[in-house]
Amino acid sequence: MKKTWFKWAALGVPVLVIAGCATYPDPATTRRVAEKMVNESFTAPAPALLKRLAQDKSQQICSKIGGAQLTQEEAAEVARLARASIKYPPSGKLVGDWKRGDKLAHDGAGDRIQRGRLEKRKENGGLCQNCHALAPGEINVGNVGPSLTGYGLQRGTSDSIAKLTYERIYNAWAYSPCSNMPRLGATGHLTPEQITHMVAYLIDPQSPVNKK
Amino acid sequence: MPNLLGGIAASALLFLAVSVPAQAADPLAVGRQMLAEDNPGELWIEKGKTLFYEKRGPRGVSLEQCDFGMGPGKLEGASTRLPRYFPDTDKVQDLESRLVTCMVQLQGFKREDVIRRAISPGGSSGSDMEALALYITSRSNGMKMNVSLNHQKEREMYKAGEYLFFRRSGQTDFGCVQCHGDANKRIRLQDLIHMTSKQGVQEVVSTWPAYRGAHYVVRTMQWRLYDCFWQMRLPELAYASDVSIALTTYLHYQGNGAVTRVPGFKR
Repeated sequence: MKKTWFKWAALGVPVLVIAGCATYPDPATTRRVAEKMVNESFTAPAPALLKRLAQDKSQQICSKIGGAQLTQEEAAEVARLARASIKYPPSGKLVGDWKRGDKLAHDGAGDRIQRGRLEKRKENGGLCQNCHALAPGEINVGNVGPSLTGYGLQRGTSDSIAKLTYERIYNAWAYSPCSNMPRLGATGHLTPEQITHMVAYLIDPQSPVNKK
Repeated sequence: MPNLLGGIAASALLFLAVSVPAQAADPLAVGRQMLAEDNPGELWIEKGKTLFYEKRGPRGVSLEQCDFGMGPGKLEGASTRLPRYFPDTDKVQDLESRLVTCMVQLQGFKREDVIRRAISPGGSSGSDMEALALYITSRSNGMKMNVSLNHQKEREMYKAGEYLFFRRSGQTDFGCVQCHGDANKRIRLQDLIHMTSKQGVQEVVSTWPAYRGAHYVVRTMQWRLYDCFWQMRLPELAYASDVSIALTTYLHYQGNGAVTRVPGFKR
């Protein structure tokens, strides 16, 4: 009997010590631990590039674990910040050249960092093809975002559609807070002028997107 | 003309889907399976085995004394329990960071040299690390992923990994979940694994290291994570860094129960 007790104690005590001490950290601790990791786990050819890791207010709100719902206040805050971020081209003209937009929409390169070097190009690609169906019949297109095939056919070419399209590309979160769509203008990935070309690519009746 | 070609390609895909009813939801699976049946990655296993038992490095010793958590040199099942906490380093380590520890402490290699060479250039004959990681993981083939979170540091690592999976940053506003949070998604034609589903995450944790067709070499989980951050336009993920181990801990624990079958085969 005595021997059995001893055996249980020998087995049980270490188990209790391990199980008793190990708990999941609370969210604030996890955040502190993980953010420290972010600060220590990346390298870049220039220190300024490390700033890409820092989150702005909206990105913090939009990083909910497990895809938890935004509160109404959070959604409103993200939309407000997004609207305030939108800048228009100096010319005021929101519809550019659809041919340049076509090229941009199919360009997924620019600004990546590899083996100590920043990918420098004349301009960043628009990345559209990665996630959206574009002209009819194109096979090499992603489906993370909605299809844009026939975008202009369904919406027309009015000034209000041009403006809405420009703003949705510049900062999609003004209309869909925290959607998967990158805030391409607001984060500086694309220039206002580039976005006007992509607007043209989407709404111009001559654009392949709007051909049947 | 592009429309015509597109139409032909679409009919070809449709044909594949129709002719193999079991895989109707995934027409690309046919080609993938054909490739997987003749996986060049197998060649790296033998290379890794040779490297493991060879006396190497400034100290001229093999890796047989390296402890991956099951005791020195015990490899069966070792990768299924990684990442885990190691008292000697007081750290949670994945397979690759543990290999770095052993190559430095046992064999006397310089840490910066091991890390600099760990990810090989595409089209090369591959790195020692890639071959070793594959060999060691292959010794768990047929065994189930079985990561436990008993130590406080393992739990911290896991929760940090979960946090990081959803953390958005950079000019694309991407976290992992933007591409890997839904079923049946693609970047262009490349399938994206749905990692917030049990089936998807099990696919991930059971198939790395994998032969990467486009690179002609075996790639590891460290490479996979590095490459995602590159595409996200973020700074370079340091090899064996805590962010990489946290994400691996999160994914591996989520994938518990998946049967290891390496080398995987990737596009």
